[in-house]
Amino acid sequence: MTTRKRLSADWWAVLVALLAAALVKSGLLPHISW
Amino acid sequence: MTAGVMEDRGSGFVRLLPGIALLAVIGYAGKLTEVAISTFGKTHHMALPNIEYVLWAIVYGLILSNLIGVPAVFRPGVDTYEFWLKLGIVFEGVRFLIGDVFRLGATTLLFTVFVLCFSIIFMTWLGRRFGLSDKLTSLLAIGSSICGVSAIIAAKGAIDADDEEVSYAIGAILALGAFSLIGFPFIGHALHMSDQAYGLWAGLAVDNTAEATAAGALYSDVAAKFAILAKTTRNATIGFVVLGYAIYWGRKMGTRQAQSMAQHASFLWAKFPKFVLGFLLLSLLATLHVFDAAQIKDLANLSRWAFLLTFAGVGLRTNIRELTRQGWKPLLVGAAGEFAIAAVTLGLILLVAPHLTQ
Repeated sequence: MTTRKRLSADWWAVLVALLAAALVKSGLLPHISW
Repeated sequence: MTAGVMEDRGSGFVRLLPGIALLAVIGYAGKLTEVAISTFGKTHHMALPNIEYVLWAIVYGLILSNLIGVPAVFRPGVDTYEFWLKLGIVFEGVRFLIGDVFRLGATTLLFTVFVLCFSIIFMTWLGRRFGLSDKLTSLLAIGSSICGVSAIIAAKGAIDADDEEVSYAIGAILALGAFSLIGFPFIGHALHMSDQAYGLWAGLAVDNTAEATAAGALYSDVAAKFAILAKTTRNATIGFVVLGYAIYWGRKMGTRQAQSMAQHASFLWAKFPKFVLGFLLLSLLATLHVFDAAQIKDLANLSRWAFLLTFAGVGLRTNIRELTRQGWKPLLVGAAGEFAIAAVTLGLILLVAPHLTQ
């Protein structure tokens, strides 16, 4: 059993969103259409 | 819960994939249905009502989960719908200037405090009148005043409630959340409410964040934006209300757990929904012109895709049979309380709507 503290869904959401924002900003993520 | 699901690593992530794919298929089927109806109306010169993908995704999810059932292999991934909701909310931050967040947030906070006080007092009175247990009454009051299921689960440990009481309270909140998806847009259109007024109403009166977002999106894109802001402000108060109840129940039962929690300010931080910080950060970055107009549109579209998965999950996790299996008393008290809260909030919004600016 591990005692290491893991990230909650809240923090995952923040991290994934920031990563996506960085990719959009850098142009690495192509245009996202809807 | 999603938190637990997201905590799994490695092989745990692979287990999520079938369910996430199912969310994507159902959500996208909802989007295709909206487009197909709109195209059919245009090509045949018919004025068909524009039914948003939100409703189709929820309906398809409901049909699958209630008529066929969700096979076990899909369940871990389906449970991630709450993660997609939070991700979508964080992305929504780019659609707000930080000044607007604080200005509208302050207005919303005033409403929130009023709604909180009203719903706690009213639900407590109603629960006692119907002879519900004090803890179940507390759970219903917490669920109806802040943010439904998350608040009830957060409060469970704090007030040491039974699992049965928790499932009753969650069932009542979810059943009423499902009703709000039909009732709220209908009332909003009947009263010709503006997008902002309707969005604030949905965000303040609908208990569960996913349903509040869906109720807003069913009205309009702008209404969804305001529903999310109002609901996020409401969610941010979760720690204060749960702490208040923890102190109340700690004193009542003389339990050490609640007393020690009251002594720690970290309790508030532990209960604070952290994704709100991501929402504020993206709003700040957008205000500082870190993103150009095209990039903001891209991020707003990412938010829509995340919500598409969320709404499919809302339908998939709603089991009508389970909702009807609960006792009639919690549902009745929950329903009466919800209607009263929705009506009072609507009155409040209509009163101040002329003074609200977009």
